[in-house]
Amino acid sequence: MSQVDLPVTAEPPQATGTAAWWRRLLRDPMAVLALLVLAGISLAALFAPWLAPYDPYLNSRAIMQPPAWSDMGTTEYLLGTDAQGRDVLSRVLYGTRLTLLIGLAGAGFGGGLGALLGLVAAFSPRLDGPIMRIADMMLSLPAILLGLAIVAAVGQSLGAIILALAIASIPDCARIARGVGTSIMRQEFIEAGQALGLRNRTIFVRYLLRNALSSLLVYISMRFGQVILIGAALSFLGLGVRPPISELGMMAAQGRDVFLFAPHISVIPSLTIFVIVLAANVTGDALRDVLDPRMRSR
Amino acid sequence: MIEIVLRRILISALVLVAVTVFCFLLLQLVPGDPAQVIAGPIAPPDVVASVRESLGLDRPLPYQFWAYASRLAAGDLGQSLISNRPVSTELAEAIGPTAELMFACLVWSIPAGTALGTLAAARQGSVIDRTIMALSVAGLSLPVFFICLLLTQLIGVTWQLLPFVGREGPLWTVEGLRHIALPALSLGLIFIGPVARISRSSVLEVMRLDHVRTARAKGLSQRRVLIKHVLRNALIPIVTLVGLQAGYLMGGAVVTESIFSWPGIGRLAVGSIVSSDFALAQGAIMVMAVSFMVINLLVDVLYALLDPRIQK
Repeated sequence: MSQVDLPVTAEPPQATGTAAWWRRLLRDPMAVLALLVLAGISLAALFAPWLAPYDPYLNSRAIMQPPAWSDMGTTEYLLGTDAQGRDVLSRVLYGTRLTLLIGLAGAGFGGGLGALLGLVAAFSPRLDGPIMRIADMMLSLPAILLGLAIVAAVGQSLGAIILALAIASIPDCARIARGVGTSIMRQEFIEAGQALGLRNRTIFVRYLLRNALSSLLVYISMRFGQVILIGAALSFLGLGVRPPISELGMMAAQGRDVFLFAPHISVIPSLTIFVIVLAANVTGDALRDVLDPRMRSR
Repeated sequence: MIEIVLRRILISALVLVAVTVFCFLLLQLVPGDPAQVIAGPIAPPDVVASVRESLGLDRPLPYQFWAYASRLAAGDLGQSLISNRPVSTELAEAIGPTAELMFACLVWSIPAGTALGTLAAARQGSVIDRTIMALSVAGLSLPVFFICLLLTQLIGVTWQLLPFVGREGPLWTVEGLRHIALPALSLGLIFIGPVARISRSSVLEVMRLDHVRTARAKGLSQRRVLIKHVLRNALIPIVTLVGLQAGYLMGGAVVTESIFSWPGIGRLAVGSIVSSDFALAQGAIMVMAVSFMVINLLVDVLYALLDPRIQK
């Protein structure tokens, strides 16, 4: 019997090339600005040990020194000092490291696991019910509550916060991934792949995962900002890292009692959180518009 | 329709069981002896032993869970370490103020957010639309504690317009209203952003429908079309989608209550965790989880009731 060339190729339609979407992203001035801000802050945090002018834990006699631009400020301490005489700039640089770590680890681990579970649910009708029911149940505990519960059980620590935020990110991402996955599973190229007798693993990885990736990355990037805000709130409440380690939410809380005399101690770390989350949200929105026009807000 | 409601109730019942198991397991996760944790770090050994025996902590895990669930069903949530009062009494006193704060926040932020979202949708693409959306993204990015601190400083300390500590009586009294104003304003400010975004997309969705085009073709004014034909239909998804943001609001409430010393469940939960009052922490987490579950159930049922597409 002669070999018949099938006219159908099971090759899934590839998303627009990386260069193309990158060019479109760079055409949006707000997105460029947000990306630059995020890159700058990340680099500053990464190189904190080289950039920080002082040891962030070193107490000095210059207590509650205002920032350099105010009347009493000096260029010795550009962002002033806190109630223990520690340099605010150095502490913000080190604190940003932890804040970014909380956001990346919380959104990355939780979002990644949730996305994988959601895609499995979309791929396998047998597992769909159980996975989504568990996700529904997990959704019944808001992130802050999960954070409180986990900290109550294992004590205040960075690990507890990351664990709580990662667990809290799972069900949301699973739901989104299932939605995205289900619509991909209805496409003809999936049917073609199955008709060609490709293995399930190949269909899952090459057809489903690859095509869902951009939507999922967008959602996880949007989750990043939320995770940072919840983590900072938990730290502000005294449920995160323990002093003297600097974390932006905790630093804002430390300046609370002296807000009247030295507002910069709270305002500077709070504004840093605001700028990071705002840049992340703007980038997320822009990425969504570029990578996934279906999700675009009208 | 009935099937959907029943399924939601069944899921909620399962969630209730899961939440109970979760709260029970919290005690098992605590490092060290659970009896010592409940009795307190400085309790003498005989007190620890009596706690262990009375709560059955020396028995197998399934027995312990059964005993825990039975006590919960009887409304016994244990004794607070710090105040030495029943946890159920402490929680009962805190639920009212939290509900009051939520109400005071929603009563202004939902109409304001809806109005802003509708305005943005009506002027889609204009400077007004962009400004409102930019402000809503900025609001979504602001840490709630920062808003609380700024408002306390400006309105409470510098201008001395409103008190910023604690609660003085119920909402309908002048002092009660003055004391709730700042916390409700702060909490509402973080909620306006999501409400405006949801409203904008719901209104835009409805504006594309045929009946709106017909209304326009009849020559009705833009305002009349917006209010009578668009907003009316967009309100259902707005209310339900806003209901789904209950978790976001609860997170904000925990921080707001702690900053303004508002005697609600959130502040109670944080205080009990910081002071290692485990029974109280467990009770507060349980009550918050159950309230969240009930809100979700009500929102789902409401959505199914109001949206004819789901009823099919």
